Amino acid sequence: MYISLNWLKDYVKIPSKIKAEDIAEELTKHTVEVEGLINSAQAYENVVVGRVLEVAKHPNADRLRLTVVDIKKKKLNIVCGAPNVEVGQLVAVATIGAILPNGLEIKESEIRGEKSEGMLCAEDELGLGKNHDGIMVLSENAKIGEAFAKYLKADDIVLEIDNKSLSNRPDLLNHYGIAREVSAIFDLALRPYEKAINRNWDFLSAKENKLEVKVTAPDLCPRYMAVALSNVEVKESPAWLKEKLIAANQRPINNIVDLTNYVMFDCGQPMHAFDAAKIKKIVVRRAEKDESIETLDEKNRILTNDDLVITDGKSPVALAGVMGGHNSEITNDTTELILESANFNAATVRKTSQKLGLRTESSVRFEKALDQFLPEVALYRFLTLLKEICPEMKVISSLIDINNINQKELTVDLSFKWLNNKIGQIIPREAVINSLEKLGFILENKKEEVLKVSIPTWRATKDVSTKEDLAEEVLRLYGYNNIESRMPVFPIDLPEPNEERKIERKIKNILYLKNSLNESYNYSFVGDEQLKKLNIDFSNYLKLANPLSGISNLLRQSLVPGLVSNIKSNQFKSDDFGFFEIGSVFFNATGNLKKDNFGEEFLPYQEKHLGLIISGSENLFNRLKGIIDCLIKNTLGQEIEVEFRGLDDSPTWADKEIVAKVFVLEQEIGVIASLSKDAKENINLKKDVYAAEINFNKLVELVLSRDAFRFNEESKYPPIIRDLAFVVNEKILYNDLRSEIIKFNALIKSVELFDSYRGNKLEVNKKSLAFHINYQSEEKTLKSVEVDYIQKELVEYLAKKFEAKLRDF
Amino acid sequence: MKNKLQKIREEFLKQLAEAKDPNFLHEIELKYLSRKGELSEMMHNLKDLSQDLKKEIGEMANTVKLEMQTKFNEVSRTLEAYNSKSEFIDVTLPGEKIKNGHLNPITLVQNELEDIFSSLGFMILDGPELESDYYNFSALNIPEAHPARDMQDTFYVDHKNKDGQYDLLMRTQTSPVQIRAMQKYGAPLKALIPGRCFRNEATDARHEHTFYQVEGILVGKDINFANLKSFLELVGQRLFGANTKLRMRPKFFPFVEPGNNGEYTCFLCGGKGCRVCKNTGWLEIVGAGLIHPDVLRAGGIDPEIYSGLAFGFGLHRLAMLKYNINDVRLFNSGDLKFLEQF
Repeated sequence: MYISLNWLKDYVKIPSKIKAEDIAEELTKHTVEVEGLINSAQAYENVVVGRVLEVAKHPNADRLRLTVVDIKKKKLNIVCGAPNVEVGQLVAVATIGAILPNGLEIKESEIRGEKSEGMLCAEDELGLGKNHDGIMVLSENAKIGEAFAKYLKADDIVLEIDNKSLSNRPDLLNHYGIAREVSAIFDLALRPYEKAINRNWDFLSAKENKLEVKVTAPDLCPRYMAVALSNVEVKESPAWLKEKLIAANQRPINNIVDLTNYVMFDCGQPMHAFDAAKIKKIVVRRAEKDESIETLDEKNRILTNDDLVITDGKSPVALAGVMGGHNSEITNDTTELILESANFNAATVRKTSQKLGLRTESSVRFEKALDQFLPEVALYRFLTLLKEICPEMKVISSLIDINNINQKELTVDLSFKWLNNKIGQIIPREAVINSLEKLGFILENKKEEVLKVSIPTWRATKDVSTKEDLAEEVLRLYGYNNIESRMPVFPIDLPEPNEERKIERKIKNILYLKNSLNESYNYSFVGDEQLKKLNIDFSNYLKLANPLSGISNLLRQSLVPGLVSNIKSNQFKSDDFGFFEIGSVFFNATGNLKKDNFGEEFLPYQEKHLGLIISGSENLFNRLKGIIDCLIKNTLGQEIEVEFRGLDDSPTWADKEIVAKVFVLEQEIGVIASLSKDAKENINLKKDVYAAEINFNKLVELVLSRDAFRFNEESKYPPIIRDLAFVVNEKILYNDLRSEIIKFNALIKSVELFDSYRGNKLEVNKKSLAFHINYQSEEKTLKSVEVDYIQKELVEYLAKKFEAKLRDF
Repeated sequence: MKNKLQKIREEFLKQLAEAKDPNFLHEIELKYLSRKGELSEMMHNLKDLSQDLKKEIGEMANTVKLEMQTKFNEVSRTLEAYNSKSEFIDVTLPGEKIKNGHLNPITLVQNELEDIFSSLGFMILDGPELESDYYNFSALNIPEAHPARDMQDTFYVDHKNKDGQYDLLMRTQTSPVQIRAMQKYGAPLKALIPGRCFRNEATDARHEHTFYQVEGILVGKDINFANLKSFLELVGQRLFGANTKLRMRPKFFPFVEPGNNGEYTCFLCGGKGCRVCKNTGWLEIVGAGLIHPDVLRAGGIDPEIYSGLAFGFGLHRLAMLKYNINDVRLFNSGDLKFLEQF
């Protein structure tokens, strides 16, 4: 929103020692951030007044003229296409370097072979109207060579305020509202708005009145005021009105439309004028399903029962609070009009404007909940100003006011003691009272401990309703930066540790420091194309209802697809590398967190996963298993063994042969696999890729379920370690062989694989697995013969069970 | 025999004194000290002597042998040390290359913040990234008509409740965890909540639909605005240095009242003005306020007994400032060349 300083001065006397910069700074400190200051003269930099000295035909173009223009410093040759250019005219000349309000940058150019050193400007090019019929001819008091800004008396400064930061303050989306803040901040007098309006009009009596207005949806339209006017001449607005609108960044259109806009930017009430020749009565109702309206922007809008429309009794003539209809628009032929000044339900306006993608100055205000008492003031303001512009204007109806006001009068008790406690500092009584009164609050019991504060109507729609709200009003005017900071006193207590976060950090450290993996943060969303390439079925994936165009819209259930794309995007940057990620995944199933604290509905199931991926050339499966082993040993305990077990239902992205489940302490925690050939080809991966996905929550559970670690004293009796290599069929699994060995005798304390071999020293389909087998007793020193005996039995047992043969070296 | 022993000793010491290279030293060792050396040979001959003499000369020979061996060792060590110097070692050569991976800078900054607040006695809390409309909005005093709920700002999940409304969404802020924490732990409460958030907006160098936030809440008796201010000062000083100053101005957030924006003096230029702070000397970092009574109520805490302060900032913004990162998209890019710098 643009706030003109000159406009503010209509309502608050600003002493000359207070500069625009001061106002911007203090508004920022006390009310809302001013994002910038625009000097209105800046818009016309390098635009000067010139006199046309010569006009000649362009040798190569019938419609163009060659002119010579005197701008005092020199005479410029300018090619001009305007039909109205004549010798002797005073004109606005955009010289080289000017950037016009419509964005056009003036450069030296050649037009059809003739040099042109600038441009003679039309009104629209100067942002002063929409006239493009010819160049703007200036009045005779213009001085040749002077800045055009000076001719226009463009001495205004405009404050730029972001609408978003006013989402709770609909009362500030206009000049009077900001003037009120300025008066409160600088302690200046505010001119009452009543002084700007005339309430004495010759409205017709109800009997004489012919303007019929009905509201059939009073819940969506708490107030509807209207008046019919005749003898109106639609024409260009007077200069003062155009200037004000231009300062507010609005393009002047005609006096009637401009005046409705002016009142909106003046006091905040959006208004609409209908051509009375086109509508005979007004009915405000909900739209019917599939009813349509052609709005002012000449677009056809299809409506639903949730939209509110203004109709002529039959069809819609306006989208309430959003935009007028094309069919009832004011034109230059309009002589009678119906003026609407109403209040519409905020949520309805917001929904309609959103659904149709139609945000207007009007909808932006209504959707923030406007004061239901404002329509009356605004209507009088409009009539007052219209009378100045069109003195012939006549009121030809009664003052229609269909009043279903549901805005409550609010009073709040404010205790000084409570206030000072809340702020943490004593604010002088006078400062509290003065601030609130300057802002329009009505105070009673000013001498007592508890003030009775009546909230002004313009703050009572949503904004202020509690003592906390009042505390903010007092505090912001007193100045946040004038409060002395004081540390809270808090009892010492031990916060409950977040064990999961501790484990997460430890895992990250193990992975990046010890295993050279890089931490990736991938999006929580995946695309169907991405999943198809990995053969992942996404029919049961949760989807976004309103994804951004071009982004993936499925909620990930696995970290693997994201990690695979990390490999893909880096595969030409590095040879051997890998990533990990710890992140949430989302399932289409009921979870364990409630949606709210009163119902019995739950959020979808979510858990955290740990994804690992490596790419390179050699021994990747082994390496990734090693990473998982390292991870487990360093989180669960050095004595813990990770088990990899074959599986039947492998993930679809995995190679059917090179895939295993990861087990720890007899619990399944994840899966490890080579990416399938198919997937690699689909994605165009150049090297082998191995991935693992661990259920992070499960892992944390396991870690936390472990008893506290205790040091184990070494047995007093020495171990005997025997190395045995067994030759077995290649299909015999290490897991099975190992578990048979360790189960075989209680004296076998540990079994460690130190070599596995397949090759031409063995028969086809055979492999050799070599183990360190560790025998140890807690009670005595084992003798070699005892171990020999167990070992002999073991070898026999394995021969029977697996047809395992002891390997001869 | 005694004389011979003395002679061997003297000759040995003389030759040893002249020894300059390892080969010669080796010869001396062979000649005198080896199993077939002169000394051994002599000792071997002792067996022919009488018992007394054998004992006397034997002891003497042992003493001499010990002396010779000790001297030899000394010379040998010096010579070795001297000789090893002859092989030039380029001490400036780099060491073995030990590979390591890299953490995402968001993790680094998050860890730093968690440590600061843990030391102040704050719990570190997590919450679900897919949230309900209730926890993300209603409970935080963001009523149904608030613009923050607009479809263009929030990713809703394509799943309607029994009233036909979308009531599941990707959380737009970490604040829902405030409510969950209050409901679970009650007051007093000190908690820091870092996490991933989502906004439905197009991505460019300065905007990301997926970003990272951290917020803190402190609920207790008589928590006031002066407390909030000193707390924010502390946070700024810990993050950006002891001389960091705070500037506050009003800002509307539905879940606090009063609400404010906090700017810190630019850590790069110290407030003089530079490119990073766009020549203002200030960096807008934090949003904060006193917790709105409706929010405390939603969390099951009585606002007449307890009050609280809350503050939040963008982790990604802190990381961008701290490491001079100009493109927010890099955090989620998985770009190795980016990660390798951290």
